[in-house]
Amino acid sequence: MIKKIILLLSFVLLMAGCSSTPQVDVKEKETITFLNYSSNGGQEATLTAMVEAFNVAYPDIIVEVETLGYADYFTQLATRVAGGSAPDVFELNIENFRAYADKGAIAKLDTSSVDISQIYPKTLTAFQIAGEQYGLPTKFSNVVLIYNKDLFDQAGVEYPTADWTWEDELAAAEKIRALGDDIYGIFRPIQTWEFYKTVAQNGGSMMNADQTTFTLNSSENVEALSMMVARINDSNVTPNAEQMGGMGDWDLFKSGRLGMIVTGIWAFGDFSANCDFDWDIAVEPGIKVNATHFFSDALVVSSDSKVHDAATKFAAFISGSGEAALLRANANWDLPVALTDEVEAAYMAITPPANKQAVFDSLNHLVMPPSLEYFNMVADELQIYLGKAVSGELTAQEALDQAQASVSSKFSK
Amino acid sequence: MKTTTQSKWIILLFLAPSLLGFIVFSLIPIVSALYLSFTSWDVIGGAPEFIGLKNYASILFSAEFYRVILNTLKYISLYIPGIIVSSLFVAIMFDRDIKGIGLFRVLLFIPVLTSWVAGSIIWRSVLSGQYGLMNNLLAIVNIDGPSWLTDKSWAMIAIVMVSIWKDLGFFSLILFGGLRGIDRSIYEAARIDGASSLKVITRITLPLLTPTLFFVLITTLVNSFQLFPQIMVMTGGGPDGATQVMVERIYTYGFRYFQMGYASALAIILLIIIVTITLIQLVLQKKWVYYE
Amino acid sequence: MNKHKLKLADKSILLILFLITLISLGPFLWMISTSFKSSGALMSIPIEWIPNEISFKSYEKIIIELPFLRSLFNSILISVFSTLLTIISASMAAFIFAKFEFKHKNVLFILFLASMMVPLQVTGIPIFIILMKLKLINSYVGVIVPTVFNVFAIFLLRQYMRNISNEFIEAALIDGASYFQIYYRIIIPMSIVPITTLIVINFMNYWNDYFWPLIILTDPKKMTLPIMLSKLNSQYATEYNTLMAGSLISMIPILIVYMFAQKYFIRGIQEGGVK
Repeated sequence: MIKKIILLLSFVLLMAGCSSTPQVDVKEKETITFLNYSSNGGQEATLTAMVEAFNVAYPDIIVEVETLGYADYFTQLATRVAGGSAPDVFELNIENFRAYADKGAIAKLDTSSVDISQIYPKTLTAFQIAGEQYGLPTKFSNVVLIYNKDLFDQAGVEYPTADWTWEDELAAAEKIRALGDDIYGIFRPIQTWEFYKTVAQNGGSMMNADQTTFTLNSSENVEALSMMVARINDSNVTPNAEQMGGMGDWDLFKSGRLGMIVTGIWAFGDFSANCDFDWDIAVEPGIKVNATHFFSDALVVSSDSKVHDAATKFAAFISGSGEAALLRANANWDLPVALTDEVEAAYMAITPPANKQAVFDSLNHLVMPPSLEYFNMVADELQIYLGKAVSGELTAQEALDQAQASVSSKFSK
Repeated sequence: MKTTTQSKWIILLFLAPSLLGFIVFSLIPIVSALYLSFTSWDVIGGAPEFIGLKNYASILFSAEFYRVILNTLKYISLYIPGIIVSSLFVAIMFDRDIKGIGLFRVLLFIPVLTSWVAGSIIWRSVLSGQYGLMNNLLAIVNIDGPSWLTDKSWAMIAIVMVSIWKDLGFFSLILFGGLRGIDRSIYEAARIDGASSLKVITRITLPLLTPTLFFVLITTLVNSFQLFPQIMVMTGGGPDGATQVMVERIYTYGFRYFQMGYASALAIILLIIIVTITLIQLVLQKKWVYYE
Repeated sequence: MNKHKLKLADKSILLILFLITLISLGPFLWMISTSFKSSGALMSIPIEWIPNEISFKSYEKIIIELPFLRSLFNSILISVFSTLLTIISASMAAFIFAKFEFKHKNVLFILFLASMMVPLQVTGIPIFIILMKLKLINSYVGVIVPTVFNVFAIFLLRQYMRNISNEFIEAALIDGASYFQIYYRIIIPMSIVPITTLIVINFMNYWNDYFWPLIILTDPKKMTLPIMLSKLNSQYATEYNTLMAGSLISMIPILIVYMFAQKYFIRGIQEGGVK
């Protein structure tokens, strides 16, 4: 037994020895660590190509890439930041950017030394705080109406156009719903993220203009929520949770049983590969006005990073260089922020969808959620009341009245 | 055994690995959590700021906390009797030396071997309302199954069912091991005395099994309070908070809202609750657990 | 007559066990069926209980496209050494708790039990910081070392060892055996039943463990199987068929360990002569 224990101990020590990375001679080279989630699920090779392109321009900077699944990414990242071992460069989406910046976890970037001239301006400002740049966007996306052409043909409905409103959408959805018990017209989820956009389409908002008080139960909001709920419970053009049967909304669309889905342009790759019917896109219809989501992911530099300059160069390359953008566009990996003519042409060339112009047209109607440090909590709280409206436990008016009271008491400044 | 000078060293030596592990990987982290529970630490920001008992006060004054406790009690009251009775039942059958029973001992253990993530994903689809396997089977016998995971009154029951499914093989095995530890000659003696099978079970088997049953009780209790992966995958705490439980809240506050101070206070409260229950169990065990 | 009655009882036991097993394994049949579906068949209505077309694509993807062998090796390495470490350390501690009296023994034991009840979600960050100070981040050792303390194993073994008669120990002491010999020659062989149980349980837990390897191992080459599988759950879509295929494959090693242990477990009882 003692022998075995000694054997075990020596093995453990041996492994401890192996675990420290061998010190290669890298005197003049700098190493940066890079943690990301968005290349997971199909784009890891594209990211590798981008890093290789970066190394052509900067041969003295070694980039160690680590990719995690989205579900675990933020838990992992928070643990590492808390433990003081944050990666030099990491990826943040717009929802989490604010929290990381406010708490001082990420560094202000000196953009004078790098080239960011090609970056689409709106995406740059999304990652600024008080005029200072804290993150460099890599890709952005919006939301469009994606429709199943085959189902439209079967129902004998005209394809959606850019001037459609909710009324046109509902009329088409009802005809498609009539095609069969298991066929549904349209899917728009009912949750906080969808709510702030939909109320904007009806002229409402979650907060007043200077973001000091909540305006959840305004008449515009109540009307919009009633319309959202009616599509599930009255016309049933949108399946309820039971009818969804634990399936995701994308899965439902891909199975060919859903006429329209309002979702992000990041679905294009998956739908191209997995839909065995024709589909195309249109600008998302609004109620009174058009409004659609804006999402973006950015690279940020840890405030603890010891290789700040190299890290900034890397972030700027992935974000603003034509090479990286072109690789991204060709891989159908969202919309690159460095929208040069060449990149735009490459992006437009990949079909389906044929009507890619709708993606660019949608850029005129972008809305953003309130920029709050505690947005996640507000979102979860509101979610509960939205759920009660969907289940019929409360009317839209009651649900939003109660949400307003609850959210204001918890989060008023 | 008596303690002598020599055995003192033995005790220390034998306890050393566990004791060291306990101090480094349990005690220090728990003490840190205790400290953090008096602060407002936001995980990704700078140093924690001391705020006294504020976290505890806001937990104890929130309706959410009591809802979560109630949810946990609901789970415990269904899960613990369910798992103990069913695994005892199976273990007693396992204890018979019938040809071919070994196969069942292996097969029934398969759910235990699955990871919670895969298990929960598969159950999410089995239990899904209209198209799920479960309701399709129930429909054969003319039962209109509920929408298990989206109906407030059924969601926790569904979680309990899945937990029992996952744990049955495990606790059957543990109890089976306990049964095997019972000296066979006692059974023989009882049989010679003409005791009925039921009497053998209630008068001999169960009393001699109490140390193992005690172990099962404590373990299932701890499991109940640490309920987490099945909730995250199957319901995410919904519908309408009906399956929100302590660890799920701790995770949400700590890593989603970045309120680690508040989350730590929740964890300390959880610790106090479980330690109290365990202490009561340890005291009560003298009344019913039989050690030779 | 008596013999016949017994057989009937045995038959009904087998029947009941068969039914319970059938219910238990129902979801697995579904899992297996899902793993052989093409992505198109996953969501078809009516549901294909048995896939119309058997597709091996998800298995191909797991074994060929993903770093399967590498992850398999990492998982085996971590699980085997963690299990060994746990069993050695826990059996030593359990021996003490079961057979020795010392001051504050019960207090210590309750402290141990209590520590089992604090969720990892809270102690995770402090443990991470400790491991970082010990320079164990991104090493296999960093994942293995925390398993040295396993209350569950100590508790199970202690419950069992308490029932080992003191006479054996006293006799051995009179024969001049050392405590270490008693532990190694008497206590361990007599506890073979709970030890094999623990080998299975711990191997399985470490095999399926997800949180620690994910946080501690940053080098993709050190990734374990569950982490590899978790990446199939991407931000917007889940490849159910691949995930199920991967979960099934990753169950095989534990199943082998279990079948081996199960035999040993029964033999241990028949030969070892508890008491």
